[in-house]
Amino acid sequence: MMRDVAIIGCGITKFGHLDGKDLMDILVEASLNAIDDAGASEFDFDSVYVGNMLAGELSHQTAIASALVDRINLIPASAERIENGPASGGSAVKNGFFAVASGASDLVLVAGGEKMTGVNTGTISDLMATLNHPTAEYVHGATMPAMAALFTRLYMERYSLTERHLAMVAVKNHANGLKNPCAQLHKLCTVEDALSSAMVSDPLRLYYCCPISDGAAAVVLCPAKKAKEFTPKPVKILGFGHATDTHAFQEREDPIVLKSVKIAAQQAFKMANIKPEDIDVAELHDAFEILEIAESEDIGFFKKGEGQLAVEKGVTAIDGELPINPSGGLKARGHPVGATGVAQIVELVLQLRGEAGERQVRDAQRALACNFGGFGNNTLVHILERGN
Amino acid sequence: MQEKMMGFMCKKCGKVMYPKHERCLGCKNTEFDEVSLGDECHLITFTKLYALPRGIEMSPLTLGIVEFNNKVRAMGQIMADDPEPGMDLHPVWAKLRTIDEKEVYGFKFDSIV
Ligand SMILES: [Zn+2]
Repeated sequence: MMRDVAIIGCGITKFGHLDGKDLMDILVEASLNAIDDAGASEFDFDSVYVGNMLAGELSHQTAIASALVDRINLIPASAERIENGPASGGSAVKNGFFAVASGASDLVLVAGGEKMTGVNTGTISDLMATLNHPTAEYVHGATMPAMAALFTRLYMERYSLTERHLAMVAVKNHANGLKNPCAQLHKLCTVEDALSSAMVSDPLRLYYCCPISDGAAAVVLCPAKKAKEFTPKPVKILGFGHATDTHAFQEREDPIVLKSVKIAAQQAFKMANIKPEDIDVAELHDAFEILEIAESEDIGFFKKGEGQLAVEKGVTAIDGELPINPSGGLKARGHPVGATGVAQIVELVLQLRGEAGERQVRDAQRALACNFGGFGNNTLVHILERGN
Repeated sequence: MQEKMMGFMCKKCGKVMYPKHERCLGCKNTEFDEVSLGDECHLITFTKLYALPRGIEMSPLTLGIVEFNNKVRAMGQIMADDPEPGMDLHPVWAKLRTIDEKEVYGFKFDSIV
């Protein structure tokens, strides 16, 4: 019998170019913020999970979870780094959830972080591209923007999606990011700015792609029954889903259906015993703006091929019926890959507590996060609920 | 040098796959015959990549996904000047790029003259 799990604290660093701070510094900062927020400074933690993709490659440091428990004295808590590509953060949250739900741990820290700036862009681009299939994709020169571009053109051929819709998602997420003090990009953009930005991988322009970022985020978990001992505003994890798909994108039965998203969402909704229409706010993985639209369809918020209509009508704006990426998303908050899955949860916790400031969604009760790894071949979905 | 672009046909259910899997995507069987994917395919999507990966000479790099007559798809560099979805292509053995100063060869796709 699994125990109900609550999030009792959250912390996040500024996202962007964090000069003078290394990966461990930002993981420490986010973790201490979360522990402090939970009022758990005097308590002993049982386990620690750290989502990270590229510490060994970019920071020349391995076993970073051991380093983190040492820096902030969580010794002798169990500690491990979780690497699952751009879904590392979501995977870390899932592992933390299991640790509490199973009864093995009563107090858990989940952190996610990545330090990506200060390194040659070509190096970052190449390291990210290595998550593609080595012989069927990578060797031909497939980078992440190229994958997203191939996907986008298929969408445009099949549905009424145009470049303008991608621009509209970017405009919305920039506007949201402007209201988020942690966001990397703090500037409004217009549809015209986006449409005239540099071509990266036709039909994708610069404004339809997320930036390269540093940042870290963390949450503290405990059994729901004990949550009130820590905070008057706990947030429950109602369910999760996690699914995979073929490594090579072209091999999927219908390449524009994100099957791993679909299955992960179905699992999460089943476990939470709610439906897509019960969700009040969502954080989706818009590493490329097409993905916000595609995920919103495959999760079940909108019919396949109609996600762009919701963007057009303002449904996904902060004051719309289903706000998506009030944080600014990966596009404006930034995408330090290992941090993203945890940062999405932090944003939703703030939204459910009613502490999201200028970007607060009205009366949010239930929230969904989708953290997308690989090019769609490894996806996590979490569903949260305001605890009362 | 490879003569033909090869796929892997499951000995049990007949499904043809590219790239190779150690267990069939259809039935989990572990034995396959190597089969030619054929000389004719058509383009289903493409991109011109301006942020060039290292070791690639073609600028911009045109990448695409093709579909063979047996419905098997493959990703590769597109040599045709004006790619259009639906256009007929055929696989050509050529240098793809250099990785760590080593030349890597494989199949690209060119228009049928
Ligand atoms: Zn088979």
